[in-house]
Amino acid sequence: MITIVDLDMGNVKSVLNMVRHLRHDATISRDPQELGRATALILPGVGAFDEGMTRIDESGLRESLDQAVLERSIPVLGICLGMQLMTLSSEEGQLPGLGWIKARTLKFQVSNFDRPLPIPHMGWNTISGAKPSPVLSGLDENRFYFVHSYHVQCDQPEDVLATTHYGQEFHSAFQQENIHGVQFHPEKSHQFGKRLLNNFCEAIHA
Amino acid sequence: MKKEFRVCTRCVMDESDEAITFDENGVCNHCRDFPQRTEGIWYPGQEGQARLARLTTSIQEQGRGKEYDCILGLSGGLDSSYLAIKLFELGFRPLVVHVDGGWNTELAVKNIEKIVSHCGWHLHTHVIDWREMRDLQLAYLKSGISNQDVPQDHAFFGSLYHFAVRNGIRHVMSGGNIATESVVPPLWHWSAMDSTNLKAIHKKFGKIPLKSYPTISFFQMYVEYPFIRKMKNIRPLNLMPYVKKEALQELQDKIGYRSYDRKHGESVFTKFFQNHWLPEKYGYDKRRIHFSSMILSGQMTRDEALAELAEPLYDPRELERDKQYVAKKLGVSDDEFAEILAAPRHSYRDFPNMERQYALMKSMQRFAAGKLKLRIKNYS
Amino acid sequence: MLEARAIPALLLQDGGLVKTVKFKDPRYIGDPINAIRIFNEKEVDELMFLDIDASAAGREPDFDLIEDIASECFMPLCYGGGVTSIAQMRRIFRSGVEKISLGSTAVENPDLITEASRIFGKQSIVVTIDVKKPRFGSVRVHTLNGRNKTGHDPCDFARRVEAYGAGEIVINNIDRDGVMQGYDIELMTRITKAVAIPVIALGGCGNLQHMAEVVMEAHVQAAAAGSMFVFFGPLNGVLINYPEYSELRKYF
Repeated sequence: MITIVDLDMGNVKSVLNMVRHLRHDATISRDPQELGRATALILPGVGAFDEGMTRIDESGLRESLDQAVLERSIPVLGICLGMQLMTLSSEEGQLPGLGWIKARTLKFQVSNFDRPLPIPHMGWNTISGAKPSPVLSGLDENRFYFVHSYHVQCDQPEDVLATTHYGQEFHSAFQQENIHGVQFHPEKSHQFGKRLLNNFCEAIHA
Repeated sequence: MKKEFRVCTRCVMDESDEAITFDENGVCNHCRDFPQRTEGIWYPGQEGQARLARLTTSIQEQGRGKEYDCILGLSGGLDSSYLAIKLFELGFRPLVVHVDGGWNTELAVKNIEKIVSHCGWHLHTHVIDWREMRDLQLAYLKSGISNQDVPQDHAFFGSLYHFAVRNGIRHVMSGGNIATESVVPPLWHWSAMDSTNLKAIHKKFGKIPLKSYPTISFFQMYVEYPFIRKMKNIRPLNLMPYVKKEALQELQDKIGYRSYDRKHGESVFTKFFQNHWLPEKYGYDKRRIHFSSMILSGQMTRDEALAELAEPLYDPRELERDKQYVAKKLGVSDDEFAEILAAPRHSYRDFPNMERQYALMKSMQRFAAGKLKLRIKNYS
Repeated sequence: MLEARAIPALLLQDGGLVKTVKFKDPRYIGDPINAIRIFNEKEVDELMFLDIDASAAGREPDFDLIEDIASECFMPLCYGGGVTSIAQMRRIFRSGVEKISLGSTAVENPDLITEASRIFGKQSIVVTIDVKKPRFGSVRVHTLNGRNKTGHDPCDFARRVEAYGAGEIVINNIDRDGVMQGYDIELMTRITKAVAIPVIALGGCGNLQHMAEVVMEAHVQAAAAGSMFVFFGPLNGVLINYPEYSELRKYF
């Protein structure tokens, strides 16, 4: 069973809609015990970094999340803020992140021919795979929906799964063993998002 | 376990058609009646070509100087789409009318777009008020009668004919045809054009008044429109070879037409109704009448039909998705919908209807055809 | 590289979809759920869904309908109409909507923009600014389907809502609504120069060329349109349409 972690921040329902549309079993939960039984996790999230970390700590989910991801090593996919929460820190807030991956979340500072690019980076953009992975299979041609003002920078180049260009090159997806993060919203990216989520869900059973 | 039904030795109709009869060779009434049923209507060969040429000249001459010479009802399905391309090649200038009953699929709208663009015609859409449509469809489901396509079909023909008459366009082109739909088991469904029946069912189970839903009365349909307003319903596909597989290929080649997985993929409701509701509740598999028609028109073998019938009607995932969608669209919860689907079966005869008038009309037609050598068949 | 978005903007009135001309004469074009299902299958970039009755009638959003619609959308969805509180917004976001648009509320209670943007993230808070040019004088911001004149200059107002925390702005040109003769490029250019957040142009689009113009010349991040995506041909027959991706990319 895939458990979609509900921080009450944004769009868990959309993720559930798409996972169910793909005919995989999934449930939305914020119950530490249920997370303890999960075979895979999806950590979505939209909103501010500190707000997200505060919710994780106050809801008592921290321990079961750490245990599931670091000790039981079940597959986990962070989406948007969910990806950023997995890093060590964010320029958006004061609180430390979950620190599951050696990466930091930085503020976008980009311009194009001296014209500052609008922030948030909002809309459809493409990703370029940085290393082979089953999660990106069949996605040589792609476009994904992005909406974010901060971006992730991995410390270790081998963790970078994909990059995207917006004024500068940034790390739009990472993967280190069971830990996956994507900056874009697969649940809102039509056939490409379906493909990516389906790849993730099927990799669990493999 | 389902009872084993006897199957016709020539087509694939079986005893799920309660009125079926077999002769000593096991051939059913649909096969035996076929020549008589199609006589004087169906000309797939040389003669059809000549008749179509004469008809074309006559209609186009009458339409000279007018913006449109006929009306074409277009659903995006294979029949009306193929007809459109043929009319285009024959030089017709139809006003294309699409009736949107709220169940269009993306495939359907895309096909309509491709046809209308290809031919450079004008499109008029009649959008049925969805709240009324939904109420009527729920009423039909609750009534438990077999033909759940009536709310869509009646609206389609009702709007089309009203529109034609209102705009003074006398020739209505229809994709109806013998080649793929000649077999009609009388007990499977009653005429979709019986507005008395429709209103009675809606009166009993409906909740909101039908203010703009386009009903067409028996008098309008069979007297006023054909005889006073001189509106003619024309089925050109009966005057040409119409072989489904070839027609599809031709459409794909010419306009990039996208095919539906199954018949009636142009409406989610019709797909759900014909491939799930009808077989589950009544044991009617509409593929049988479709395939049998195609066997009779010589474009399918019985073995091919049997092989296709062995395929499941619905992919279970797709069924689950469609079922949820239909419930959501009709504005009922999944539980309520399950309850509605479980409504007891009823015959259309359990509600007021115009069956006697239809019977009278048929015998008058027969009388006229037999004794007076007239063919009064504005609507078949 | 980030692509400019082409966004169908659908108007809801009394539970049905309508299309207006200059915010008047709503024409019924069908049931929202099926329309959105078709747009989803056409893989549109994003969808805007505006309840044009709710604020004017002082009514709450139709939460059930929003949830039904959101569950058909595998693309970003923006809802607007009748939203006046954080509680309502929470409910709408929970049902699977990405963005909420504030119209008259942004004028009457701009602090809500700030609060919402803090809680939900500014990228999910859109402000839709309806503008109209009187016979004499310059373009001004209107609310409540164009009936209420606020007297605000659109650029000043855009800067103001940006400062309050809006993540995106829709400029909806009432004079061009449903006219299909092209966007007001000059106005859109002024707005994109005035603010740093993404701007969506709405009002006047009749074809892809119009979209290309407003994207290239006014530098908006997205071009939205109503009529073009729901009508087809000279008789404006209702037929949902959206260009194929490859076709769209020929323009911008």
